[in-house]
Amino acid sequence: MSPALDLSEITKSFPGVKALRGVSLRLDPGSIHALLGENGAGKSTLIKIITGAQSPEGGEICVSGKPVCFANPLQAIEAGIGVVHQERNLIPRFSVGENILLDRIASASLRPINYSAVHDEATHWLRLLELDIDPRRLVSELNVATAQMIEIARALSQQSRILLMDEPTASLTLSETQALFRMLRRLRDQGVAILFVSHKLEEILELCDAVTVLRDGGNACLSRPLAGMSRSDIVSLMIGRAEPIPDLGRNQRTDLPVTLSLASVATLGGHRDIDLDLRSGEIVGLYGLVGAGRSELARAIIGLDRITHGEIRIDGAPVSIGSPREALHRFGIGYVSEDRKQEGVILSHGVLANVGSTVWSRLRGWFGFLRDATVIRLVAPVLSALEVKASSLDQLVENLSGGNQQKVSLAKWLAAGTRVLIVDEPTVGIDVKTKAYFHQLLHKLAREGRAVLVISSDMPELITLSDRIAVMDHYRLVGKFENSGDYGEMSHAIMAYIHAAPPTASLKSQNSAANAAAT
Amino acid sequence: MLEGLPPAQGSDATETQYENAGRLGGKLGRFLLSSEFGLLLLVVLAFAGFWLSTRGFSSPFNQFGLSRSAAVNILISLSMMSVIVSGGLDLSIGAIGVCASILAGWLMEACRWPAPASVAVGLALGGLLGFANGQIIVRTGMHSFVVTLATMSVFFGGMIILTTAKPFDSLPDDFSLPAQQHLFGAVSPLLVYSVLIACMMAYLYRLTAIGRDMLAVGANARAALLSGISASRAVTLCHAMAGILAAVAGVMLSMRNGAAIPSMAGNLGQDWLLPAFLGPVLGGASLSGGRVSVLGAVLGAVLISVINNGLLLLHVGAFWLQFFLGMLLLGAVMIDKARMRVFASGDRR
Repeated sequence: MSPALDLSEITKSFPGVKALRGVSLRLDPGSIHALLGENGAGKSTLIKIITGAQSPEGGEICVSGKPVCFANPLQAIEAGIGVVHQERNLIPRFSVGENILLDRIASASLRPINYSAVHDEATHWLRLLELDIDPRRLVSELNVATAQMIEIARALSQQSRILLMDEPTASLTLSETQALFRMLRRLRDQGVAILFVSHKLEEILELCDAVTVLRDGGNACLSRPLAGMSRSDIVSLMIGRAEPIPDLGRNQRTDLPVTLSLASVATLGGHRDIDLDLRSGEIVGLYGLVGAGRSELARAIIGLDRITHGEIRIDGAPVSIGSPREALHRFGIGYVSEDRKQEGVILSHGVLANVGSTVWSRLRGWFGFLRDATVIRLVAPVLSALEVKASSLDQLVENLSGGNQQKVSLAKWLAAGTRVLIVDEPTVGIDVKTKAYFHQLLHKLAREGRAVLVISSDMPELITLSDRIAVMDHYRLVGKFENSGDYGEMSHAIMAYIHAAPPTASLKSQNSAANAAAT
Repeated sequence: MLEGLPPAQGSDATETQYENAGRLGGKLGRFLLSSEFGLLLLVVLAFAGFWLSTRGFSSPFNQFGLSRSAAVNILISLSMMSVIVSGGLDLSIGAIGVCASILAGWLMEACRWPAPASVAVGLALGGLLGFANGQIIVRTGMHSFVVTLATMSVFFGGMIILTTAKPFDSLPDDFSLPAQQHLFGAVSPLLVYSVLIACMMAYLYRLTAIGRDMLAVGANARAALLSGISASRAVTLCHAMAGILAAVAGVMLSMRNGAAIPSMAGNLGQDWLLPAFLGPVLGGASLSGGRVSVLGAVLGAVLISVINNGLLLLHVGAFWLQFFLGMLLLGAVMIDKARMRVFASGDRR
C-alpha cells in the first residue's frame, strides 16, 4: 500500500536562511501522525509546502503514490489534502451549511443556490462526524470547538483523504479536546490519514501512531512509530543540538538593586498572578510558545494594556504607567518591538528621524524649538557605537538591511537613556553573524547597569543571554530559575515547565475564545 | 557610554561621515533633483507661456488679481497639507473657512466690533472646529474621511441655520484694506502674509519637536506611539492647525470680496477641495502621511492659480478648467504611487 502522503528530501530557503534542508515525511492511510519541532525548526514552512501556500525548491511530494506539484492552496485541496488551521476560517454570518459547501456555492456564480440541497448535503457530513447541528444555524452562534468541527466537516466534504490539523487544541477545553480526539480516531478507522501538529506532548502520546520531529530544518526522526517512546525521548529529539552555546558569562548576584518589579499583576488581556523582579545589571529571559502572552505582558508594562490587579514597582515604589510616553519619559522604560517593520522603526523616514523620535520632547527648547544639530550631538555617538551602516543620517530606514534596521530600533532606546529595556525577539530575521553581535551588545548593555528583559522563542538565544529564565504559558508565569548555561539541562527544564503546566482549561479557553472573537 | 563594544571602531570617523551628508553642495544637488525643483520649472513655464501668449496676463491689474488668488490658494493647500501630514484628510476645511469669516463678519457688522478683534475671534473659531474634528477622530478611532464628511455638513448647515444664509456686506473699510493695497504696483500684501505663514509652517516641521511628532505619527502611528510620542495629541493639533489656516483663507476671501458671504466657497465649502488636495499632492506630499513639503505645496498652489488665471483669460469655459485641474490631480496621485513603488523595490534589493 502506498503512503497517503510521501515527502522526500524537501528543501526550501529564504533570503539568508535555509528553512528546510532535506525533510522527509511518510504518512500512511488510517493513521494519525504527529509533526513536532521547536519554533524555527521548519514546521510552519513544511505545513505551508504541504498545503500549497509555498513551493519547495527541491525534493518530491507524492499523494497516494503519484507525484504532485502545487502552485496554490486550491490545487492541494483538489489533490485531497484538507487543512484545519489554528485560527478559525469560517464566515461567521453564513450558515453552517453554507460554510461547509462554500467552495461549491462560490463556484456557481450566477445560478441560484438550492438551499435544501445544500443543507441536505451538509447534514450528511455532519452526521458522519456524529454532530447534531442544524445546518441552517449561523456559525456566529457556535462556540469555538464546534466551529472547528465544522471546518473538519468542510475538509471531508472536499473528499479529503488527508487531513492536516495545525494546533487544533490550542483553543479547546479538556472535554472539547476529548470529543475532537474521538472524532479523529473514528476518521482514522475509516482510512483517513491525519497529520497532527501540536506542542502538547501528552496529547501526541495519547492520540498519535507515529511521529516526525524536525530540528534546525532537518529530520530529527522520520515517521517513527510512537509505541514504546516516552516523553523524554521526544523532548531529546526536539532539542538535541550540534552547535555549542557561546558562553558570555552569567551574573548570579542576588544583591543587585531591583529596578522593575511586578507583584501579582493581572491584566485586562488575561495575565494572572505575574510576579517578576528585574534587577539592574542582569538579563532575564522570558520564554514561551507563540501566544503564551509574553509580548502582551511587555505591552501592559508600558501602559498599552490595563493592569487590573497587583502593582508595578519602579525602584520599590508602586507606579501607574498610563502610556508608552510616560513609561519612557517618567520611568525610563523602553520596549523594542518584535515587529520591527511595523512598530520598531518608521521605514519611510531617515535614520536620524527614527533614532531621534524618543528624545525630541526632552531636547526641545523654547516653543518646542529643536535643531537637527542638537539631536545629532546625542544620537551620533550611539549610532557609531552600534556601527549602524548608513550612507547618511538621512538615509531612509527602508533601504537598510534587517540587521541595521534592528540597530536603529535599538539605538533610539539607548539614545533615550532608558534604565529598563524590554527587547522582544531581538534577532528575528537576522543573519547569524549579526545575531552574535546583538547577543554581545545586549550582554554589555545589561552589565552597564540596565535591567534587561529579553523575550524570545529562540531557546539557544535565550540560554546564551539570560542570567535568569522565566517561562510563560497561557498568560501565567509557570517557572523561574537561574540559568546554568548548559543547553541540555536548561532546555529540558524549560520544556518540563511548559508541558507540566496545569490544565487551566475552562478559563484559558474563555480567554482564547475572547481573543478569537476580537481578531 | 558604550566604549569597548565588541568590534569597536573609531567613533569620530563615523560621526564626521554622518554630518558631512547634510552639507551645502549635497543640498543644492538634491534640490535640483527634487520634485520641488520640477514644480518650480513648471510654474515658470506656465507663467512664461501665459505671459507671452495671452493678452492681459502681464498687466499689473491681472498680476494683482493673480497674487490675491494665489494667497488664498496657498493657505487652502497648507490647511489640507497640515492634515495630510498625519495620514488623514479634512473635507470640512471649506466649511470651516466660511464659518470663521461669517463669524468675523457678524461681529463687525452686527456687534460693531473692531476688525482685528473680530478676525481674531474668527480664527479662534476655525481652530476650535478643527480641534473638534481632531478630538472626534482620536476618540472614536474613525477615519478622518467619514468624520470630516459629517462635520462639513454640520458646520456649514449650522452656519446657514444661524445666519439664514444672509451675507454680511457692510464691513468696515479697514477690514478690507489689506486686500486693496498694492505692493510694487502689482502684488497684494495678502500674498506676503501667506508666504510668511508658509515660512512658519516650514519652521514647524523642520525645527520643532511637535512638527517632528506630527511627521512621525503620520508615517507610522504605532511606531511613534511606542517611541513615547502622543499620537492623539499630534493628530488633534494637525486638525486644529488646519482649522486655523482654513479660517485665515476664509477671512482673506471676505477681505477680497468686501463681504462675508455664505456661498463664497460653494455649497458646503466644496469649491476648496480640488485646490486643497492638488497643491500638497503636486508638491510631493504623500497621501499616506509622514512626508510633506511646504515649499512644494506653495509652488503647487501658485501653479494652480497661474493655470486658473491664464485659462480664464484664454476664455476656455470653466468646465474645461475643472476638467484640466481634475486630470492634473489624477496625474499627480499616479506619480506619487509610482514613486512609492520605486521606494518599495529599493527596499527589496
